[in-house]
Amino acid sequence: MKLFDRFKAKEKSKRAVLIGLDGTPCTLVERFIKDGTMPNMARLGASGSLLQMDTSIPDISSVAWTSFMTGANPGRHGIYGFLDVQPNSYKIYFPSSRHIKSETLWAVANRAGKRAIVINVPSTYPAQPLNGILVAGFVAVDINKATFPASLVPRLQAMDYRIDVDARKVQQSHDALMDDVLLTLDRRVKLLLELYDKEPWDLFIGVVTDTDRLQHFFMDAIEDAGHKYHTAFRDFYRHIDAFVGQIGERLKDETLLIMSDHGFTPIKQQVYLNRWLVDNGYLKLKDNPRSIEDIADGSRAFAMDPGRIYINLQGKYPNGTVAQGDAARLTAEIKQGLAEISDNGTKIVRRVYERDELFSGPVVNFAPDLCVQSIYGYDLKGAVNKTQLMDREIFTGMHTQDDSTLFINSPASALRSDKPHITDVAPTLLEALGLAVPETMDGRSMFR
Amino acid sequence: MEGKGLTLWFTGLSGAGKTTLARIIETELRHRGHKVEVLDGDVVRTNLSKGLGFSKEDRDTNIRRIGFVCNLLARNDVIAIAAAISPYRDIRDEVRRDTGAFVEVFVECPIDVLAERDVKGLYKKALAGEIKHFTGIDDPYEEPLAPEIIVETDTETPEQSAARILARLEELQYITAGSEPDSYSSEDEEEVRRRLEALGYV
Repeated sequence: MKLFDRFKAKEKSKRAVLIGLDGTPCTLVERFIKDGTMPNMARLGASGSLLQMDTSIPDISSVAWTSFMTGANPGRHGIYGFLDVQPNSYKIYFPSSRHIKSETLWAVANRAGKRAIVINVPSTYPAQPLNGILVAGFVAVDINKATFPASLVPRLQAMDYRIDVDARKVQQSHDALMDDVLLTLDRRVKLLLELYDKEPWDLFIGVVTDTDRLQHFFMDAIEDAGHKYHTAFRDFYRHIDAFVGQIGERLKDETLLIMSDHGFTPIKQQVYLNRWLVDNGYLKLKDNPRSIEDIADGSRAFAMDPGRIYINLQGKYPNGTVAQGDAARLTAEIKQGLAEISDNGTKIVRRVYERDELFSGPVVNFAPDLCVQSIYGYDLKGAVNKTQLMDREIFTGMHTQDDSTLFINSPASALRSDKPHITDVAPTLLEALGLAVPETMDGRSMFR
Repeated sequence: MEGKGLTLWFTGLSGAGKTTLARIIETELRHRGHKVEVLDGDVVRTNLSKGLGFSKEDRDTNIRRIGFVCNLLARNDVIAIAAAISPYRDIRDEVRRDTGAFVEVFVECPIDVLAERDVKGLYKKALAGEIKHFTGIDDPYEEPLAPEIIVETDTETPEQSAARILARLEELQYITAGSEPDSYSSEDEEEVRRRLEALGYV
């Protein structure tokens, strides 16, 4: 009988664990496995599969983690960046969990009666109720609004749990920042292991974001053996590896995935796309602009972090100047112009994507018209107050799109052979739990 | 915002998602400034209708009571949300007739999907004969003929269904279109901006 078979299939399902390492490049993990910095990762790797993964475009955490949690592209889930402009205005807003339009992986699991623990996933603030526990990650402001259920808050406070590294510490000193990175990681790992051991769950998701914070400010250190923080960088990853080992030794028959939401590479230059738009006559700004809210009349396009470009269309924006019929020609012209940007003779733009090449779904109308992807080393920025096209700031690391990490504790023979994409992670976890993948997910399970 | 009262009536099989949707709509409407109450069938049977069983007569009494309370709430500008199987068409139509503004939402989901999902473990018991008078198994369910809204919870996510319900309520002009919900207060926004600046995103 059909029904009976379905009940039987359900009983076979087991638990699944996902450990997130924000911004950890696959090539760095491979290097640390080879040189002995990550022996636990090496042990896991020997019986499982370590794969390089593509992430979302744009390759920043808010977009990437939302693509992870929904298994969907931004045209469905609606998160295109840390900042966005409200419809029919240039007013900036900060998308939060309430703006995510697609169902999360844990909501799907909850519907099947599975309990989920979800700790420190970026873009889950404010915490939405679920069957389980959720402590939101970046950009969570208030621990009370970041935590579900509220009864967990005193426990978090007693453990001195930190939602995030305070990156502003770098203004004091790099030492102060490094101390904060290590302290935050220590508190995070304590919470993750305690919940892993003491709470019931079917799906456990724990993300470490301290990796990303380290790499934004210390990425130069790992490339240079003589760098003041070279050893500290490596030691930090020994802590990460110890944590991976602690999860590894707890595994019974759980499926384990370890992933990052993007890779990292050292910065050569930051590139300010709004400056380029101004210099080429596409954008006009008011005096002393702070954000794109200070756009002036007569603008034809504007950019938002990291490489998003929007055509200032009539009817779409209050001071739109570009008629619908002229948009395609302008888009092509800007695309061509961007391709020519160079630094000492090196072309820095790898590819410019048009909207429909990347995004599809019910909220595709809010998508950028173009997404610029740079070559390694040239970090695209949306700042409006820059007087030159390129510059260096305090940051030494930038994100990469094609070097995210995906580890699965299954041999390669059990997995698809094509390169995974971040939207494949949720379907993989659902299959591990014995659940069907909803049609609203774009990704496919990595299991054969 | 002071709005008009309304009875929003969810009907459908057990486990179809009536309570889930009622709670999402409740949260959203409260956020938009409406007064909202939810009368959940499972909860009502523990108080207002305690002692009633699942015969047609008892089921009808249960629905009449829920309808009565919804009507009282709605005429005091509350959006009253009922989430009850309410399997019989005639009694739903009776409530509709005796109540002011009434919007019926048919929460549709095929019974084999529900039996597989079986969140409350009831279908297994009903199929095994351990529960009698179970709607859809050995008791009838009469689908609405002209509900204001039909949502299909086997193919839509709860958020999608909720969005369609809200859109229909806007269309019927019971509620005004909501702007995007604010997640950050203005002080929070400044803090978010500073943190994003610290990582070079602003």
